[in-house]
Amino acid sequence: MKPYLPLALAVAASLALAGCGGKTNDPDALTILGKKSDLTKPYMTEIFEHYQETTGEKLKIRSVEDAEYENEALRLLGTDEAPDILLHFHNADLNRFNVEENFLYFNDAPWADELTDSARAYCTDASGNLLGLPFWESSVSGCYYNTKLLKGFGIPSTQEDFDGMCESLLDKGITPIFWPAGCSWMAQFGLDPVFADAPNGPETLAKLNAKEIKYEDISSVTDMVTWIANAAKKGWFGKDFLDKGWDDISPALASGKAAMTFIWDTWFYTDFKDGTYTKDDFALMPVFMNTAQRGTYEGGNLNMMMVNKNSAKKEIAIDFLEFCAAPENYNVAFNGISTVSVFKGQTTNIQSKMVTDAKSSIEKYERVSTASTKIVGYSADDMMNALNALFRGEITVDACVKRMDENRLAKARAEGAEI
Amino acid sequence: MSKWSKMPKWLKYTIWPAVACIVVAAVIMFMVGYFGFISEQSDTDAERNLKETYTQVSNSFGKLMRRNWSILESCRDYIELSDNYDSVTPQKVTPKEFIESKKEYWGFTDLYFLDAERNYYSFTEDKQGDKPLENGSQTLIDANKPIMAGETIGSLKVTMFAVAAKGEYNGFAYTAIGISYTNTDMAKALNADAFGGTARSFILRADGNVLLSAQRGGGAMDNYFDYLSGMLDDETIDGIRADLTALCADCEELAPAADAYGYLPYTFRGEQRCIIYMPIGYEDYALLSDVPFTAVSHGFLLAQRATMRVLLIIFSVVIAAVIAVLIVYIVTQSKHNRKELQYRERMFDVLSNNVNDIFLMLDPQTQKVEYISPNIERLLGIKLKDARANIRTMASCAVDCNIIVPNEELQAIPIGSSRDWECEYMHQATGERRWYRVAIYHMSIQGMEKYVIVMSDRTLDKRLNKQLQEAFDAAQSANEAKSNFLSNMSHDIRTPMNAIVGFSVLLERNAGDEELVREYTRKIMASSHHLLSLINDVLDMSKIESGKTSLNVEPFSLPDLLEEIKIIILPQAKAKEQDFSIRTQGVPPDELMGDRLRLNQILINLLSNAVKYTQLGGKIEFIVQKIEESGQFCKLRFLVKDNGIGMSEDYVKEIFLPFSREKNSVVNKIQGTGLGMAITKNLVDLMGGIIEVESAPGKGSTFTVELSFTHVQEGAEDAWFRQHITRMLVADDEEDICLNIREVMRGTGIDVSYVTDGAAAVETAVKAHEHKSDFHVILLDWKMPGLDGVETARRIREKVGKDVPILVLTSYDWSDIEQEAREAGINAFMPKPFFTSTFFQTIRPLFAEAPQMKAEEPPAEGALNGRLFLVAEDNELNAEILQEMLAIEGARCELATNGKIAVDMFSNAAPGYYDMILMDVQMPVMNGYEATRAIRASSHPEAQTIPIVAMTANTFAEDVKNALDAGMDAHLAKPIDMDAVRTTVARILEKREKGETN
Repeated sequence: MKPYLPLALAVAASLALAGCGGKTNDPDALTILGKKSDLTKPYMTEIFEHYQETTGEKLKIRSVEDAEYENEALRLLGTDEAPDILLHFHNADLNRFNVEENFLYFNDAPWADELTDSARAYCTDASGNLLGLPFWESSVSGCYYNTKLLKGFGIPSTQEDFDGMCESLLDKGITPIFWPAGCSWMAQFGLDPVFADAPNGPETLAKLNAKEIKYEDISSVTDMVTWIANAAKKGWFGKDFLDKGWDDISPALASGKAAMTFIWDTWFYTDFKDGTYTKDDFALMPVFMNTAQRGTYEGGNLNMMMVNKNSAKKEIAIDFLEFCAAPENYNVAFNGISTVSVFKGQTTNIQSKMVTDAKSSIEKYERVSTASTKIVGYSADDMMNALNALFRGEITVDACVKRMDENRLAKARAEGAEI
Repeated sequence: MSKWSKMPKWLKYTIWPAVACIVVAAVIMFMVGYFGFISEQSDTDAERNLKETYTQVSNSFGKLMRRNWSILESCRDYIELSDNYDSVTPQKVTPKEFIESKKEYWGFTDLYFLDAERNYYSFTEDKQGDKPLENGSQTLIDANKPIMAGETIGSLKVTMFAVAAKGEYNGFAYTAIGISYTNTDMAKALNADAFGGTARSFILRADGNVLLSAQRGGGAMDNYFDYLSGMLDDETIDGIRADLTALCADCEELAPAADAYGYLPYTFRGEQRCIIYMPIGYEDYALLSDVPFTAVSHGFLLAQRATMRVLLIIFSVVIAAVIAVLIVYIVTQSKHNRKELQYRERMFDVLSNNVNDIFLMLDPQTQKVEYISPNIERLLGIKLKDARANIRTMASCAVDCNIIVPNEELQAIPIGSSRDWECEYMHQATGERRWYRVAIYHMSIQGMEKYVIVMSDRTLDKRLNKQLQEAFDAAQSANEAKSNFLSNMSHDIRTPMNAIVGFSVLLERNAGDEELVREYTRKIMASSHHLLSLINDVLDMSKIESGKTSLNVEPFSLPDLLEEIKIIILPQAKAKEQDFSIRTQGVPPDELMGDRLRLNQILINLLSNAVKYTQLGGKIEFIVQKIEESGQFCKLRFLVKDNGIGMSEDYVKEIFLPFSREKNSVVNKIQGTGLGMAITKNLVDLMGGIIEVESAPGKGSTFTVELSFTHVQEGAEDAWFRQHITRMLVADDEEDICLNIREVMRGTGIDVSYVTDGAAAVETAVKAHEHKSDFHVILLDWKMPGLDGVETARRIREKVGKDVPILVLTSYDWSDIEQEAREAGINAFMPKPFFTSTFFQTIRPLFAEAPQMKAEEPPAEGALNGRLFLVAEDNELNAEILQEMLAIEGARCELATNGKIAVDMFSNAAPGYYDMILMDVQMPVMNGYEATRAIRASSHPEAQTIPIVAMTANTFAEDVKNALDAGMDAHLAKPIDMDAVRTTVARILEKREKGETN
């Protein structure tokens, strides 16, 4: 991407916002409330513009600074200025909005079947209610591996085979997994199956968030941390992974020093720099972290358009969501956008070959991003902080699990959660 | 003598290390050979071990295949029969129950019903699979024989055994049935635990595709040859593949030959491994195992290690023994070498500290000092560490040369050559100077280039040479001086002698001509005087140079000295019509402590020369300046300036050398010994002063003499007040003189007014008179432009009257104007320069008595008339001359031929009989000093008062002092100058008459 393009897009987005309702005082205009950074995404501005041009309806786009968004949205919701449509991720913060009272469910919406399974799963609550229309870019997180370095291996079908493969790679002098200690997100992929897989996952999640249990009460969490500790000890993460960070991933993979890493597909298009190996040399397999026997993928986090149940213009809002969910419209909005498909009929977006090739596996083993979005007080950094202490030999596995939980609770309390 | 002691030294030193090396080499060779043998045996053992192990595994796997097919065949029969369960046989279990019981018993994972289209129906899942199988079924159908194949069911890899069957199960028409095992299940069959679980064992096809892996977690392995890529080169992998293909092709079904196997040892990342492969007798399937060598030959390796350990111990002991011997040898040698080195270093240090040669060694590249002898600190005052740190510190003591030779010059010295030069160095602390011959040798020491610098002390040689040179120069100079002296003396003595002799001859011939006699006698006398002065100077010079001259320090009056000088010089200057003036500046003290005679001699010499070398009508200034005063000490500067002929620059440089005279036509005509200035210079040096001269031809000369004196504390000046003198008027056309008088009079209580011409003096005096405040004294310069001193005095007298004393201040002889001055009303004359003491002495009588002209000193003429002298003189001729001369003066004398007689004659004489005794010094029996002492010590009434005057050829200051010390009253030098005799006698007698004594 040319360096001036983001600026141009931002300017264009700002102009579009201004033109499509930012200054509109039309009382009939549909009010959409969202974070400033979310509303300036090109596909968002595109759909807003496209809607107004196509229908002649007016939209009032109301953006709030990111840091103030949660509180401001909560405040507005109880006032006459409440938005007709609210943009929000399906994460722990959403619990504060009393979704049942304030927003419509879309279980029977005509566009519900248009969503991919993973997208629909993401937008569905524990009771199976579809909370809104996911209109966002997505990616697939998993284990991306160098096909040339893994020549001779097939896709491991079990944790045991994955471990055996790592051992064989190490015998060959190849670092199996590049896991920089500075990159905190990786462990969350292993936690998804623990809290997402029915029937026990959601129940476990609820108990955890209700402070009825702790991480240490969940054996899978301990299993995962044990596996991570052993992998680090055996050298599967490399010798100097404690000193590495985000910037080291691309060189490690491109040079062939490491064979695999846990990341997402769009990273290859934004941060990966070709070296001895190019992005075409990589493929996708599930992440094995001793919490899912067949491995796991993590689906993308999606921003949902949720309709205010109490809005006088909720019918127009429903129409707007239907407009957005129509293939002829979302394909306009996502034209040329790098993203995993959220809608089944999505054709104009750019999907990586890695994801396409692993489609059947993804369909089987993809899980909604659960840990980072639904565990109250979850912080990837805090979790990594505990794991790094473990890597350095300062604490045991059990102590690490305990510290993860302490960190989580501390963060939750700091954020004002009643926990 | 033993053979050992006869052995050459180099051989003694090398034999033991050589023996040790040979022993070590032999042991190493033995061990290399041994370990090579062991390794070979180990390899053979490993291959045999592997072959035996995996032949058994292969056989076991063959049995497993057959067993599974057998199971399937039994199942097939039962399942086929089960189709007619109700109508054919009364079985108690259903097929489903049968299969489930077998599954549990035999441990397979699942049972599948297969059709010709590779579709399958899972017994466990009880449904048809999503997609057809990839392998196996077609082969089965085509060959109608039992098969084994790897399949992927869902995402799970399994090994499937199948046999042909025919029937329908839950509506699925099948042509074969198969059972599957997971990789984990099958691993047991491959003896996964063999070799400590370190082996990677596979059932694979000849192309490397893995059917199953014995390794835990090996399920992900697809193709082992692909995995080996990067660990083995492609050629080796292709070789294994080809070999395996051939072995499988030659293998009878399920009956592999015992020697049908391949073996390949290899090393990867430092680990020795070995691969063994063998067909299993089914299609191109083979058993392949990749095992760490250490695991295969563990026992052998243990034995090998034990052997190695023993050998190592033996070898270590041997090596230790050898090393011990070597250490003892080296230590002994080292001690010996160290002692030798210490001895040499000590010896070198001792030598270095006791010799004055300095040694250095430098690195050619860095010029870093690698060695420097410690005596550098003693010899040059440079700290050893400083010199070591930076060789350039030595440059600081070099005088007009440099030890630091530029690099390019150093590098230009070929190896084996040297460069040397001489250089003078100065000790940094003491300043002592030393000469060194610095030699730089560029040499190779044990293959390393070095600069060795040897600084050989040449100081003694240099000093000796210098002394020799100085002695030579001195001798040469003395010789030249002697030659010059003789030459000069010869010339200078012969010249007046020639005149004396010549005119004496002429006198004899013309004795009758009174005028010629007078003329010749005058010339003879002039030549005699010149000869006398020459002799005096030569003797003076000789005395000074011999170091026998000493100073006679006593109080003297500076005004008196200057007056005496003026008396001597003024007539000479007047004779040449020169303007001679004496001035003082800065108020010099009146009374000083010093050698009056020597100072007089210095100044007379300078002033006589000034008169001599200044033309008629020229100008001569004599200035006395006080330039410094501190407590009782003061420094005076005497300036003698003239506008005479001057001197050339070259001559000025040697003016103070003996017998030096400028060679020009003017000077050549002026008589002189050429010793005067040399004597003057020596006297000034003797008095601790300095003398300088500035001169240029035709522009005159200025001699400057600076001398220090102790000045005698002067008495209180309240005498002025007692005389009621509080105001005075000074008139002089030179304002400096007026100011000087005012300065001199400061502190006396007298208010000095001055004017610079006569008319102003008259006007000022008249005004004061009119205001009834007359000046108490008026001091007038004689020679002023306009009204001169006499005329001014006359006019003042006309207006003011005769009560105010008027004095004339002059450098000139006032005898010519004395009469006129008296008539004009001048009371007294005062010589320049102005001194308070002189002024007071002059003015006091004027206030004590009525103002009147002070009487002049009685002329010396007639002072001898009628006197009777006792003359002690042993030389008859001298005695006769004196007697005649005294007779001419109207005096008489009685002669004594030695001191003793003189004493007796005096003792026997009545008091008042003799007026004076003229005493020669060098006399037989009793010399003049002894005689004087005897007279002074005698009981004669006039023993203490009778004037005794030395009359001797001993004319040095010491002689004068000795004479006075002996009790004499004065000293007169021979040859006798009757003027001097007259003056001296007159002075002494006057004093005697006044009752004063010495």
